[in-house]
Amino acid sequence: MKIKSTEIVDTFAEAFKMWASRIIITAQTSDWALAAARSMTGFATSVIGCKCEAGIERQITADSSPDKRPGVSVLLFAMDSESLGKRLVERIGQCVMTCPTTACYNGLQSEHSVVVGGQLRYFGDGFQISKKLNDRRYWRIPVMDGEFLVDEKFNVQAAVGGGNILLLGKDMNTTLRAVKAAVKAMREVEGIILPFPDGVVRSGSKIGSKYKALIASTNDAYCPTLRAVRQDTSLAADVNCVLEIVIDGLDEAAVREAMRRGLYAAAKPGIRQITAGNYGGDLGQFKIDLHSLVDGQ
Amino acid sequence: MSPLILTLKKRLVTRVDLSSLTPDRLNGLNVNAIKALKLDYSGKQIAITELFDVTGDDTDSIHFRRSSRAFTKIGYAMTKGSIEVRGHAGDYLGQKMSGGRINARGEAGNWLANKMSGGRIDISGNVADFAGAALPDETQGMSDGIVTIRGNAGDRIGDRMRRGLIIVLGNAGDFTGSRMIAGTIIILGKSGHQTGYGMKRGTIILGKKPQKLLATFNSCGKLKMEFLRVFYKQIANIGRRFAHFKDFSPEVHRYAGDSSAGGKGEILIMLHAT
Repeated sequence: MKIKSTEIVDTFAEAFKMWASRIIITAQTSDWALAAARSMTGFATSVIGCKCEAGIERQITADSSPDKRPGVSVLLFAMDSESLGKRLVERIGQCVMTCPTTACYNGLQSEHSVVVGGQLRYFGDGFQISKKLNDRRYWRIPVMDGEFLVDEKFNVQAAVGGGNILLLGKDMNTTLRAVKAAVKAMREVEGIILPFPDGVVRSGSKIGSKYKALIASTNDAYCPTLRAVRQDTSLAADVNCVLEIVIDGLDEAAVREAMRRGLYAAAKPGIRQITAGNYGGDLGQFKIDLHSLVDGQ
Repeated sequence: MSPLILTLKKRLVTRVDLSSLTPDRLNGLNVNAIKALKLDYSGKQIAITELFDVTGDDTDSIHFRRSSRAFTKIGYAMTKGSIEVRGHAGDYLGQKMSGGRINARGEAGNWLANKMSGGRIDISGNVADFAGAALPDETQGMSDGIVTIRGNAGDRIGDRMRRGLIIVLGNAGDFTGSRMIAGTIIILGKSGHQTGYGMKRGTIILGKKPQKLLATFNSCGKLKMEFLRVFYKQIANIGRRFAHFKDFSPEVHRYAGDSSAGGKGEILIMLHAT
């Protein structure tokens, strides 16, 4: 199957059940809100090394934010709700509360929640103040520029992590252009993030390693420099660069839609193939077949 | 179904306790059963039909017409449904209420929302003293819910209030928020003397600067209180009459106090009330 001249490999992306939260950060200016969001989503590319995955979902205008100030929506994913709660306390406490003028709100509707502001309030050393309206409790924590306002609880929900596509291009420049186009198209989808730097990962991994201490190591089948030494290389002779986009979403439909848009945006001359990473289908709870994403299939 | 309408048909000479006429207490009763109820009045039990014309059958929506200041305890301990009162709503309106809604199209007496723990009460006129306050033998007054007063309120609004929100669009008497434990009181008009007397925690927001504040309240300066943005926005959504809250600025002059009671309460005086 092809989109334009790019072959869509008959395979599937293997994705996993995760837990997600949506965090709304507002500030006096969109720059400060972005500063807090960037800090909060830093070092959050993969649960393997960072304990969580996070990214900026979209920017929010003052008209649609909880406090009539510009803001940013962040999605944060972890393997279970307990871990997610811990990461939220750490990251909101260290990256949002510390940023001038910010406030932080729950942005998700769900029956499950974790206590965040209710933990951070202790930073107020007894001077914190709670305010409750419409069954929602906020904490006002005194800080040096005034008060940090934060929701007591943040909702969490089951989600999907690890959707992915791999772009196999003839050279680096072509592949970079394609991957940037794909990221731009995918970020239009609500409810997803691309947790790696600017949405792209070059160090795709496989499970296991020759070194016993490591649970993952480089995906040698897709490394062009190893084409000659790996018998089962996945790269054709004219493929010299592979870049991957990983997608985490609030539900499978959002991940599928992002992948679909990514396929179409990345299918450009010079992109020989688009494939996906999987582990044989035995590990992940979700299998997203690439061919099923192509229109008319 | 049509609302259960109770229209007063005689002039009252003593108080009449209406705590039995709530959506909870009347749940499941048909009109005939309701007409067979008795009320305590003037030292004896009389049939409800001696005082009221009774029409309608929806016990979840009760209307009192030609209401009298001699009424007491309308909406007592109600947990659901709605009550509308036309005329004076009497004392103890919404006492121990935990859910549902009361809409009083007129004035209300003393002890409005005493021990209220949920739901909402709207008063279109004035109220007397002790709205949301604790009775003398109680340690806490109102503990949750929303009370809105379009007119003026008397003295000691929210005395020993524990939680919840009281909004007065008009003026307030003396000792607003006295001995307040927590919660929020908003007075958009003028406020009387001794506002916040003995308050431990909680927030009193004043639309107009009072002539004098207690010496035990100390200025923290003019500040942007960001929580007010969220607060005002949510209040603007509770009804058309409160839509103008969305235009309020979060800039206030903050006074912390009462320092004679720990000083963790606050009086916020709006700088740009519209």
